[in-house]
Amino acid sequence: MPIKWKVIAPLIGILVLGLALPVKAFAHGASIKYTVSTVIELVASYDSGEPMAGAQFTIYAPDDPATPWLTGVCDDEGRFSFAPDRSQPGTWDIQIRQAGHGDIVHIPIGGDAAVTGGGGGYSKLQIGLMAAAVVWGSVGTALYFSRKRRA
Amino acid sequence: MHIPDGILPISVNAGGYAATAAVTWYSIRKIKQKENPREGIPKASLLTAAFFVVSWIHIPVPPTSVHLVLNGLLGALLGYYAFPAILIGLFFQAVMFGHGGLTTLGINAVIMGLPAILAYYIFRLRKLGGKDSPKKDGAFGFLAGAVAIGVSVAIFVGILVTNLPTDFISAEVERAAIYTLAIAHLPLLGIEGTITSLLVVFLRRVRPGILDGV
Repeated sequence: MPIKWKVIAPLIGILVLGLALPVKAFAHGASIKYTVSTVIELVASYDSGEPMAGAQFTIYAPDDPATPWLTGVCDDEGRFSFAPDRSQPGTWDIQIRQAGHGDIVHIPIGGDAAVTGGGGGYSKLQIGLMAAAVVWGSVGTALYFSRKRRA
Repeated sequence: MHIPDGILPISVNAGGYAATAAVTWYSIRKIKQKENPREGIPKASLLTAAFFVVSWIHIPVPPTSVHLVLNGLLGALLGYYAFPAILIGLFFQAVMFGHGGLTTLGINAVIMGLPAILAYYIFRLRKLGGKDSPKKDGAFGFLAGAVAIGVSVAIFVGILVTNLPTDFISAEVERAAIYTLAIAHLPLLGIEGTITSLLVVFLRRVRPGILDGV
């Protein structure tokens, strides 16, 4: 074999091997697509803390609060998300319901859209204080009516 | 067990208020017929506090959890005082904690208050057939507690199942969830019956006068 082929043959072999190997190819061209949307994520749970897994939600748009705009089911963590129609600014009503329990949340969408929000949400200390106030009121009532009347 | 706002149609909520107004009027009338109507108020007030607080005690019954109600206990110990006591307790639960709702206050009072009156009559049956005893008190206390919560669940399910919204994604799914919740309440029959039974036996031993009026 002439000396020239001793150099070219291994080069061709390396080239063929390189093309045959199943490696990921990196192209030089790139394409980026994007969509701007405001997605609202809601998490529903009972006051005991357990998620409302499989609860059904109904969303009402501001322009027609009587007809459901979207319906669906929460995931196992009581979570779901939706992208409201930005052409309908106003208050979007979302009802979540499961076995006769649930709540309605009103989300303003527009210039002053809320970032986070929700219903309820007292701390344990607040709940404890409120409960203590009612219990104290009941005890006071009991004491008042159990006192002996003056003759 | 507490139906919140926005679940039932307005007509059902209005009917609940009408029924609650009628039963409250009748209960107060029966209370006024007592020799000393003020006598039962301290007991009713303390049990209202117990009813108010006890809804925070959750009992896990997979896949959900249930909470104590104690309407049978209130009925057994208070008689006709139980209905206004439960109504006041429900009002505070709705206003302060969001348990139930103000529009559904009437219907929730029917769900929990009417079975309390039934429990009162069940507990009174212990006086039939001769002298009452701790065993009879305990047995009828258990019946009163268990039947009251059972009837409450039955009314709760009946109202919800017959008023499922038509625009909902799936009435079948909601109906199945309601039945699952109702089945989850079955252990509560035993728990509330046992609590009522133990308490009436305890009160008979330490303060028998409390049971005299009922």
